[in-house]
Amino acid sequence: MSSVAGRFKATAGRVHLFNLSPAHGSQSTQKRLGRGRSSGLGKTSGRGHKGQKARAGNGKPKAGFEGGQTPIVKLFPKRGFVNPERKVYAPVNLDRIQHWIDQGRLTSSPEKPITAKELLLSGCIHQVHDGIKLLASVSPSCVASRMLYNVFLQGAEHLKTAIHITAARASQSAIRAVEKKGGTVFCKYYNELALRDCVKGRTDRIEAAPTKKNDILWYTSWRNRGYLSPTALDKMPPTLVHERWRELSKQLLAFKSQEYEKAK
Amino acid sequence: MSSLIRPEENVNPAEELVELDPHVFYHPIRRDILHLCVVHYLDCQRQGSASTKTRGEVRGSGHKIRPQKGSGRARLGDAQSPMLRGGGVAFGPKPRDFATKLNRKVIQMGMRVALSARVKEQSLGVVRSLEWPEPKTKTLKDRIEELGWWKTLFVTGLDRVPDGLARASSNLPMVETVTAADLNVYNTLKWPRIVLDLAAVEWFERVLGKPQVPPREYKL
Repeated sequence: MSSVAGRFKATAGRVHLFNLSPAHGSQSTQKRLGRGRSSGLGKTSGRGHKGQKARAGNGKPKAGFEGGQTPIVKLFPKRGFVNPERKVYAPVNLDRIQHWIDQGRLTSSPEKPITAKELLLSGCIHQVHDGIKLLASVSPSCVASRMLYNVFLQGAEHLKTAIHITAARASQSAIRAVEKKGGTVFCKYYNELALRDCVKGRTDRIEAAPTKKNDILWYTSWRNRGYLSPTALDKMPPTLVHERWRELSKQLLAFKSQEYEKAK
Repeated sequence: MSSLIRPEENVNPAEELVELDPHVFYHPIRRDILHLCVVHYLDCQRQGSASTKTRGEVRGSGHKIRPQKGSGRARLGDAQSPMLRGGGVAFGPKPRDFATKLNRKVIQMGMRVALSARVKEQSLGVVRSLEWPEPKTKTLKDRIEELGWWKTLFVTGLDRVPDGLARASSNLPMVETVTAADLNVYNTLKWPRIVLDLAAVEWFERVLGKPQVPPREYKL
């Protein structure tokens, strides 16, 4: 309770229903229009005289109207298109994951790798967007020397433990850095539904395989540590591999050995 | 502590002491919080059943009472306009809900402040139990006269008020019984004297006491 001398009401003795009052300044009177001169809001009720704004109903032109001048939304031409297949990945750097492991907020093992769910629930990531992309953050001073093979990476240098992570995508430097410390990275295809099930922990649904050509090429190559590449299916712990993936991998890579008749 | 039933000769109830939790019973007095709680309670008590008929609801047809021009009088439409006698009410009351929301923790603080205010004014008493032997109003009335406990609210911490006391006091005008779960800030302020039993003290200290939060463990 405020004990400023000027505002403190010295109410005597007992507290009763008749000597309660609200905190000073906590409640203000309502503005009532059109109730006489002395209120200050009589007659025109704060609207001034005539004009569009003084009228009943909305009293305003439509949004964006500039009085007849070509509005800013019409001055410039439309440009381009919006790609519905655009994917935005939530980036996570290796040094951030290492910090979380040091604090004890994240743990990983080959049988229980870090997925989008663990990263989200531990606060490492705030939104999963269309999936996680594992990155090794590169400081600006290192960009110039990227031509060197063993470039000194700022984020990667903080990684000390072996982590096992399943992401939607991973950068080459991140893959190199994780495997150098003895960890594993596998990249798995998540569509919207699969990502939602991963985050909510639902395992009863079958996760869809990639259908687009670019996705298939990406996730069947070992360079990206794609989960449908034959090497990855051998290296992943058997508890995590679905039988369906082996069949999918076989069928999706069949194009490499297929022959076709050339046009005459 | 006092006792409702006449005690034995060698026991002096005034010498028995009960220890009260200062977070509940010695809370700083916040009259503005009490004001909020009381206003919220009274708002929720409103029946909100005032109702009037608008010009659309008043019974009558929509025919024009007199021609637009020619009669020399003001122009009128149907006979239910609010301008006319017998017409509808413009912007009159309609049944509505006046209940407001008040944060649960504000109400809990209000309860603590109200109990502390009663303790401070020495109008809060604690009894060992509120059992009354037989449901006779006469005997209870005599005992209350003897103790001088008119205008008292008896609060029990059990699930239901003890049967003897409930029946004996139901016809007494200046005595009221209630369970601790049903006690609100308004009643605590309205009744000049409150008498709790030990179970009620324990109930309040459990429900309104400071929550024990273990410190978080960090692995660094």
